[in-house]
Amino acid sequence: MNDSPVMTRISETVVPATAAEPERAHVACRDFSIFYGQNEAVKGVTLEFSPLGVTAIIGPSGCGKSTFLRSINRMNDLIPGCHTRGTLTFDGKDVCGPRIDVVTLRRRVGMVFQKPNPFPKSIFANIAYGVRLEGGKNRDELAEIVRLSLTRAGLWDEVKDRLGDNALSLSGGQQQRLCLARALAVDPEVLLMDEPTSALDPRASAHIEDLISELRGQYTILIVTHNMQQAARVSDFTAFLYEGNLIEFGPTAPLFTTPREKRTQDYITGRFG
Amino acid sequence: MNLNSRKALDRSLTGVGALAIGLMSLSLVILLGPFFIRGSQAFVFRATVEHRRLMFTEFARGGQDSLNKELAAVKQARAPVFAAMTRFEEELPSLPLERRGALRKEYREVQRLVRSLFGPLPGDDPPVLLREVYGQTRWDRALVKLDELLHVQRWDYSRIGQMGRQVRDRRQNTFAGTALEPLFPVLEGHLGEMLRPRLTFYWQFLIDESRDAHFFGGIGPEILGTFYLAFGAMLLAIPFGVIAAVYLSEFAGSGRLVSLLRVFVSTLAGVPSIVFGLFGLAFFINTLHLSRSKSVLAGAATLALLILPTIIRAAEEAIKAVPQTYREAALSLGASPLRMVLTVLLPAALPGILTGIIISIGRAAGETAPIIFTAAVSVGQPLKLIETLSQPTPALSWNIYNLATEHEAVGEIRHVQFGMVLTLVLLVLALNLAAILLRARLARRNRG
Amino acid sequence: MNKTGDSLILSQAASRFRRLAAALMRGFLLLVTALSMAAVLLIILYIARDALPFFRLAGLKEFFASTAWYPSGRPASFGALSIFFGSAIVTLGAMAVAIPLGLAAALCLSDILPFAVRQAVKPVIEALAAIPSVAFGFFALVVFAPLLQNNGGNVLTVMVWLILLPPGLLLTYLTAEASSRGIREEVAPAVKWVMAGVLGWLLIRGLLALADRLGGVTIDSGANALNVSLILGIMALPTIVSVSEDALQAAGRDLREGSYALGATRAETLLKVVIPAASSGIVAAVILGVMRAIGETMVVWMASGNAAQIPKPWFNVLSPVRTLTATIAGDMGEADQVLGSLRYHVLFALALILLLLSFFANLVSEWVLRRHRRRMSGGQK
Repeated sequence: MNDSPVMTRISETVVPATAAEPERAHVACRDFSIFYGQNEAVKGVTLEFSPLGVTAIIGPSGCGKSTFLRSINRMNDLIPGCHTRGTLTFDGKDVCGPRIDVVTLRRRVGMVFQKPNPFPKSIFANIAYGVRLEGGKNRDELAEIVRLSLTRAGLWDEVKDRLGDNALSLSGGQQQRLCLARALAVDPEVLLMDEPTSALDPRASAHIEDLISELRGQYTILIVTHNMQQAARVSDFTAFLYEGNLIEFGPTAPLFTTPREKRTQDYITGRFG
Repeated sequence: MNLNSRKALDRSLTGVGALAIGLMSLSLVILLGPFFIRGSQAFVFRATVEHRRLMFTEFARGGQDSLNKELAAVKQARAPVFAAMTRFEEELPSLPLERRGALRKEYREVQRLVRSLFGPLPGDDPPVLLREVYGQTRWDRALVKLDELLHVQRWDYSRIGQMGRQVRDRRQNTFAGTALEPLFPVLEGHLGEMLRPRLTFYWQFLIDESRDAHFFGGIGPEILGTFYLAFGAMLLAIPFGVIAAVYLSEFAGSGRLVSLLRVFVSTLAGVPSIVFGLFGLAFFINTLHLSRSKSVLAGAATLALLILPTIIRAAEEAIKAVPQTYREAALSLGASPLRMVLTVLLPAALPGILTGIIISIGRAAGETAPIIFTAAVSVGQPLKLIETLSQPTPALSWNIYNLATEHEAVGEIRHVQFGMVLTLVLLVLALNLAAILLRARLARRNRG
Repeated sequence: MNKTGDSLILSQAASRFRRLAAALMRGFLLLVTALSMAAVLLIILYIARDALPFFRLAGLKEFFASTAWYPSGRPASFGALSIFFGSAIVTLGAMAVAIPLGLAAALCLSDILPFAVRQAVKPVIEALAAIPSVAFGFFALVVFAPLLQNNGGNVLTVMVWLILLPPGLLLTYLTAEASSRGIREEVAPAVKWVMAGVLGWLLIRGLLALADRLGGVTIDSGANALNVSLILGIMALPTIVSVSEDALQAAGRDLREGSYALGATRAETLLKVVIPAASSGIVAAVILGVMRAIGETMVVWMASGNAAQIPKPWFNVLSPVRTLTATIAGDMGEADQVLGSLRYHVLFALALILLLLSFFANLVSEWVLRRHRRRMSGGQK
């Protein structure tokens, strides 16, 4: 397979499909709050994320960014005592609804974590893991998906000769790209990235940022970051959260140069954070 | 206290600590030393021609021709001994009356000891017990018998006012002037040619059955029995243990029920092993009728109960040690909780679980009390696999006790006892070592 | 692959099925776990069930108060007091060996030894823990008992020297130091040396005299309470050492650093700060060691002498005794032939006592550990 300059969705190369549908990749919330027991960590946020665009969520530590992000793919279910109020929709359906198939939700909304967390398996097995869950792919199809995912994540050339090696033998930056490839392999519509470069060195971080730019237009990307320069570089829209409240949301460039709210301005200029 | 005293106290605490560690290590050496030294003598010893005769007749080992050659040479060497005895028997009626009684008694002793050295005397009826068919198979035992033959123990009360003491006399003196007298120097000087000892490595000790209540042969059935019991216990305990550990750490939450279950685990861990044995008898055999009487199955079930808490604890610890991010990554890719457990959690926790399993196998192999009433017998054939469901078995742990206390000739088979102990200790230590190595290797794999 | 319109919403039926399947799986796992735990209840049930007939028929008084243990006599008597005593005294003896040694070793391992030596010592402890009890019993019977019987005096002498010499030397040094306080500079060293010399000489003379007395002692039976106590103590050592070491480590670096920063020596830090902080864990370790000693069967069966009597005087550890575990193991072979007899049931009664003792000890150690954990995190006294 050749690397065509126009990146096609992985699913299209294996199973022909219709063009990407922005409506399906739509994430929005209205009056959405998240509670840890009595403590209200996210307070009544109303937002609509740009489908197939990159939105950054910024704010000081502890302001609820990660909590908010994790609720989109129901990862907060793992935390006892965590419950929500309001609506959070994906593809038009309330993600916290009663008959939601969480398993399918998590396949369509992928996640890259702050600290790279490859499984202690081979590189190949890591990428293939999510795909194998659904089953029905033979060895060749799996190999192709793995190749495509690693190419997408910019890791293929570095590991193509050692797919059988233990994933933990890779460097930190490589591991994070591996995790990205692993998430891409199940062909999600949304990519949630929770501070994906905070555990990486500058060069690896730059690599990831390049990838995000390349993936823009194919996936809806929500990236939580405390690095404002990164947000400015990479995103189309930015949301600023402070102490659980949404302070400001809008296109990135204007928000950074001429923020409407004073608190936004104070945060960006480093008066607190 | 002034500074020097405080410093002295400090130094002495260090010394006390070092002393404690030293004593502990010393006790390990003192404990294992005799096991290794005397236990290895069950495998490596100077074996006599009687041993080779035994190996050939009972176990079909060795060549007919070389054996016959040896037997011929030995027959020649022993001839003077038998000749002296024959001459003495002819002479005895003609000896003075006072001496005759004492001599006859002593002669019977000599006969017994010569038989124990060489086997049946020419003219004896074929013996019934196997142990009388052969002479001494081991050179070290032969020397003990020789010493017993050459010397008489008697009490000397000649010192007035003092306690009587044991003295040894040469038996030769008793027979001075008789036809038997030359027997003693001949034996003393030429026993080697009569028995032809040779350094032998009897590794088949591990696989041979015992003959005549461990007088001869090896400990094969015991080792097999121990394996059956240990692996049976493992097969029964692992599923329950791992499932329980998965439930307790992943699905149970933290309510009252879970605390209660945990209390049960630690309670089970504290039950004394003999109580397990009684329970095994009362429940598995007398109630569930797993088998009509003792069997490997019942013993393995009892042992499984014994090692269950260990496996649950080790598995739980291993599962808890798996980083939360692995769980999250798997779930975020769309795995259901069960798939996540089976495909990510358990594989990552495998080193810890395996380590716990291996150590439990060692424990099950070494335990005696649980199998006394449920599975163990003192002598038996090696069992076929299907027989384990209904038949009892000898086992290393039980037979060590049995041979050391209830055996009829405890002093004669010391080498077998030590050999058994050495085998069991080496087995358990090897298992522990394997567990440690496995843990280190797989942990390295997990850390990449 | 995600096809178009991969539904997020499950149908009513599918959702119910999913939930049912999840509940079933949890139920199955819970059942299996509970089965494992039901074993404990079953054990209590079966032991108690076969123990109660004894108490119903023979009552409590003779069992607990009399030392006449003749289960096969005519008439049979079941006075188990001497057996309780036997268990108690060997456990006491084992703890007398294991607690000081174990604590000292744990201290050494956690705070004194350099890392490399600690890694070398850990296998020793694990090896001691792994050796089967029947091997210990064999050693006690075949190696140690003859040693005691033939060289009793010497063994006792060595032991007494080992126990008395280190503290004696320390005391000598401390007294010498104390005596030279408040004396002028020039004379002080001389005074110290004189004191040390005098006390040291007294110590050695005393120990030699003791050695003389002990050397003449003959031990009639090598299988006795002393033998068993020593071996049981060594068997309980690994438990006490590892659990205590965990407790000492858990006290934390901050605590130690606070003490050192105030100018305390290591011994003072350990004795006055660390051990008190780790006390609950150490108590738990001791209880675990006690449980190990009480529940041990093979060593006592082989080497305690198996005489159901209270020695005269009671602290004469050189005489044989009998323990609960050995009685059960030893008598069961014959008692099993006469199912339903008092002889059979009394063994279950003994087992019930053992079981209750171990439950009790377990509960106490759990309570101690929980209180410790609460204190460490909550901070209430």
